[in-house]
Amino acid sequence: MAQSRELYEAIVNGDAKQAHAVTQAAIEAGIGPMTLISESMIPAMDEVGRLFEEEEYFVPELLLAGRAMKGAMELLRPLMTASGEKLSARVVIGTVKGDLHDIGKNIVASMLEGSGFEVIDLGADVSSEAFVAAVKERKPQFVCLSALLTVTMPSMKTTIDALGNAGLRTQVKVLVGGAPVTMQYANEIGADGYSENASGAVGLIRRLLEGA
Amino acid sequence: MRLKLISCQVLTREMNHILSRSPHSIVAEMLPMGLHDLGASMRPHLQERIDAADRDGYDAILLGYALCGRGTEGLRAGKTQLVLPRAHDCIGLLMGSRLRYQAYFDTHPGVYFRSPGWIEHQVPGQALEPAHSAVCRTSGERQTREELIAQYGEDNGDYLFEQFNAYRRRYSGLTYISSGVESEDAFRSSARAEAEKEGWTFEVIEGSLALLEQLVNGTWGAADFLVVPPGAIVHGTLGDTIVEAL
Repeated sequence: MAQSRELYEAIVNGDAKQAHAVTQAAIEAGIGPMTLISESMIPAMDEVGRLFEEEEYFVPELLLAGRAMKGAMELLRPLMTASGEKLSARVVIGTVKGDLHDIGKNIVASMLEGSGFEVIDLGADVSSEAFVAAVKERKPQFVCLSALLTVTMPSMKTTIDALGNAGLRTQVKVLVGGAPVTMQYANEIGADGYSENASGAVGLIRRLLEGA
Repeated sequence: MRLKLISCQVLTREMNHILSRSPHSIVAEMLPMGLHDLGASMRPHLQERIDAADRDGYDAILLGYALCGRGTEGLRAGKTQLVLPRAHDCIGLLMGSRLRYQAYFDTHPGVYFRSPGWIEHQVPGQALEPAHSAVCRTSGERQTREELIAQYGEDNGDYLFEQFNAYRRRYSGLTYISSGVESEDAFRSSARAEAEKEGWTFEVIEGSLALLEQLVNGTWGAADFLVVPPGAIVHGTLGDTIVEAL
């Protein structure tokens, strides 16, 4: 389908206006949201992730692709709500308490959203209580925690412990990331996974879903 | 004792004050403050200086550093033991205690820190950064709005600039850590002017030289210092002790 190809290219090129226009045209032409997601968005975000891994794309390109994808998704979301179509998994994401930095978290959130997951973004400086409340109310399969400062990394452990104390730990997989975070730290605090970057986070969730 | 001090330039005035009063024989070497921006990639630079000092047979090599965004993680002691204060970054060092820093940070997450060294050694024109942002920088994050627009077009350039600088809007204060060394009035005034210019709240807190004095004077209690024995490496635990030797 021409529209699918055009949307794919608009996202990869980070062209938000084009992505919006093409999506609008596709909807009017009767193409379903799940078709656009599976044939355009997911392959586009995979390609963006690949280009990032190969160091052809950097943070700005990831942000621009995410922006283009989000604009298209905003048009599709009401249609999906109306038709009752569900995405493959629900993810709650946020930067942990004390940490005001959210660029990395935002990139991961948009990569996940563009990869076909439902993303509930709690923002930055999110308390463990807020994570617990979101898990109770929204029942996600995954919780993604981000930290940029070593001084706020202990908040990741606090959040994992709070999920345990609330009896919710076995209901969700907790994934951690951020510049100073390591696989070893993830293991030490009892996280279920760690990713070094946003495209890795997509792959990690896919693997965990397959294994589940 | 015969000691070698390898320290970040940000502590120059505090270290000079303490060194002039130390009972030990100390050779000091100050490394550029810009290493801070490298995050974990600061390590090879420090390791090279440690290895060079290792050949000279000191009783210990003192590190005027903290975990510094994992920039000291993985440092290896050669034949000479290494001594590293237990702190996340230089703000903890200048406050004299990681616990005091943690308590302050918990109630003030959105402040920039300044100290004499942060003002004296900052490169002119360099963008203002939180003292603790040891982030591995990828292209784009330090570009001006004009540079981003030139590269990505007006709409996307604007968007990127907003994204990269959104966190700054959540920072609302500037805290000057007075270290009590002589002639710091100009630095304090400079910090106040910076806060006024940006419309941030301004606070002066009294720092403490206690931790740095203990480092230089050789009183390395296990509660506040990691002594890395020959052949061992620094590991960041991020727990209460922050660092351990492996």
